[in-house]
Amino acid sequence: MIRAVIERYGTALAGLALIGFFLLFAPNFANPQNLLNILRDTSFLAILALGFTLALTVAELDLSIAEVASLCAIIAGWMVQGGQHPALAVLAALAAGAALGAFNGFGVTVLHVPSLIVTLGTAAIARGSAFMITQGVAFVGRWPTGFTGLARGNLLGVPNLVWFLAVSTCFCWGLLKWTRTGAHMIATGEAEEAARLAGIATARMKRLGLTLSGLFAAVTAVLLTANLSSAAPNMAGDYFLYAIAAVLLGMTMFEPGMPNVAGTVYSALVLKVLGNGLILLGTPYYVQDIMLGGVIIGSVAFSASVVKKVAFKV
Amino acid sequence: MMGQAMMARAMMNGETLGDRMTQSRKFLFAAAVALLLQCGSAGAFEVGIIGFQFSSETHARVANAAAAAAKANGWTVTLLNSEGSLPKHVEQFETLITKKVDAIIIAMGKPIEADAQFKEAQDKGIPVITVQSGASPHALFDIETNEYKVGADGALYLLGKMNYQGNLLEERFEFNVASRIRGKLLDDVLSENKGVTPIGKHAMARTQSWQDDVRTGMQALLLQNQGRVNGIWASFDGQAYIIDDLLRSQGLKKGQVPLVSMDGGQETYRRIADPDSSIVATVAIPFEAMGVKAVDAINTIVVKKQPASSVANGRYLFMDAVLVDADNVKQYAK
Repeated sequence: MIRAVIERYGTALAGLALIGFFLLFAPNFANPQNLLNILRDTSFLAILALGFTLALTVAELDLSIAEVASLCAIIAGWMVQGGQHPALAVLAALAAGAALGAFNGFGVTVLHVPSLIVTLGTAAIARGSAFMITQGVAFVGRWPTGFTGLARGNLLGVPNLVWFLAVSTCFCWGLLKWTRTGAHMIATGEAEEAARLAGIATARMKRLGLTLSGLFAAVTAVLLTANLSSAAPNMAGDYFLYAIAAVLLGMTMFEPGMPNVAGTVYSALVLKVLGNGLILLGTPYYVQDIMLGGVIIGSVAFSASVVKKVAFKV
Repeated sequence: MMGQAMMARAMMNGETLGDRMTQSRKFLFAAAVALLLQCGSAGAFEVGIIGFQFSSETHARVANAAAAAAKANGWTVTLLNSEGSLPKHVEQFETLITKKVDAIIIAMGKPIEADAQFKEAQDKGIPVITVQSGASPHALFDIETNEYKVGADGALYLLGKMNYQGNLLEERFEFNVASRIRGKLLDDVLSENKGVTPIGKHAMARTQSWQDDVRTGMQALLLQNQGRVNGIWASFDGQAYIIDDLLRSQGLKKGQVPLVSMDGGQETYRRIADPDSSIVATVAIPFEAMGVKAVDAINTIVVKKQPASSVANGRYLFMDAVLVDADNVKQYAK
């Protein structure tokens, strides 16, 4: 019983302890504005990481998420800067993200190139395309609120970004937990051959997982671009490692060993809390990076070691 | 001696040694509390300093100098590195505002992209001073050198070294405002001096592996134009170091292909003085002095409550950049 609880919630409890620590010791951490800021900042990372989670659910790695997001941001920014209707810019960016994701799926399932390779290739193509469009110079301007409001606005007193996060989370959760497609995706990821023999269209599931990963990267890109009112090549590059960290950390909780929606979103939140809390405590930037690495390794190791101890007692 | 006298006085007043020691402890405790309170009030002034990308030496030089000056004033400093990430930059800015720091200094920031955060800081009464960032209507002012003058000084010096004739290679960086302006000034200078022909141009990409990009791009240009190059222009010193090493590996000596760039720094000065280096001059930007100036300005405006106009008139506070070559390099090299 205890073992099961620790196994499922050990890392999550460590995250809660971290939040508790900052609540007690970091000045202004509990300030509602700060908590809202954390949630807003979490949304970009969590949405991007959710896409990675879906790809990993079908046992594929999408290493192109950050570069695809950057390219989609460039497309949206380019069109808005050029005076196109914001809705058109958003649609174009989403279509580009989904298309690049679908291309990854095509590479994996039709060309039989490992996802590690094909997504690295896509990342390079996306990066090159972003620089080709921008020539290295960012699109920056005071863009229409019809576009920037997507990220900067509020609905019912709650920031739009939080709504986007909630909708994305519910979508992924619902897809994986309540639909046959979701069950097929999980089966494909857990035991591809068995799933195929059971009649599941595993190749289609893989394409779906990677396409959704690209689409979520595009959603992140649109929100980032709207929030910053600018688009620069490699603007989402910083999120790459954090998104992977969020997914891997998420795999240590709730459904240990499995990529899972709740774990990913919670881990993204904890990573953002850590960054925010350390700034509020006044720690220098290099300490933050060191602490971040330490917490990721420490929390996973703690979770694993406690499980081992409990297991030996049993 | 003083302690003995106090003890003697206490004993004369009928106090025991134990009583006196207890009182001494109380006195020491009170003094320690007072000292802590004193430290607390001195440290109560807090400044947040953000450097946009510390992997770029110039950003780190400004931010580190500002942090050192602020600490020397006894202020509490939160020093942050946005690692070249705009989203991270904005997040850090927001967190400093939530933290309610007393002032913010931003080195090489992005006032247009982070406009909402600049405005929020202004609305919440937190003064912001930027360095080499461009003006924001919501910041006090931007401390910078006149990049148009820097660009003109560098370009004219290089053309002078080439006797206003021959072929020129250019290493550009279009993403950064300062280096872009320098490039535009080079274009202007070249448009009026037709004896110098730009035969090759490479624009560095804004990636974390920019050094490799510069090396590859310039290597290709040098190969294409072997024996035809009379001068090389680089938009900042970091690029020049890489090009200098390339030229050195090809056996070129100082003066054969003059190389000029801009920024300044000890490594550049060492190379200017080095007979084996092709770097002949730089336009030295006073990065450390800019960081210190930002702290001094906050001290004047926020701590001493002097009007901002007493420090800078308008949105810019310009500082002088100096052309450093073999004639004056000893003044700058440490």
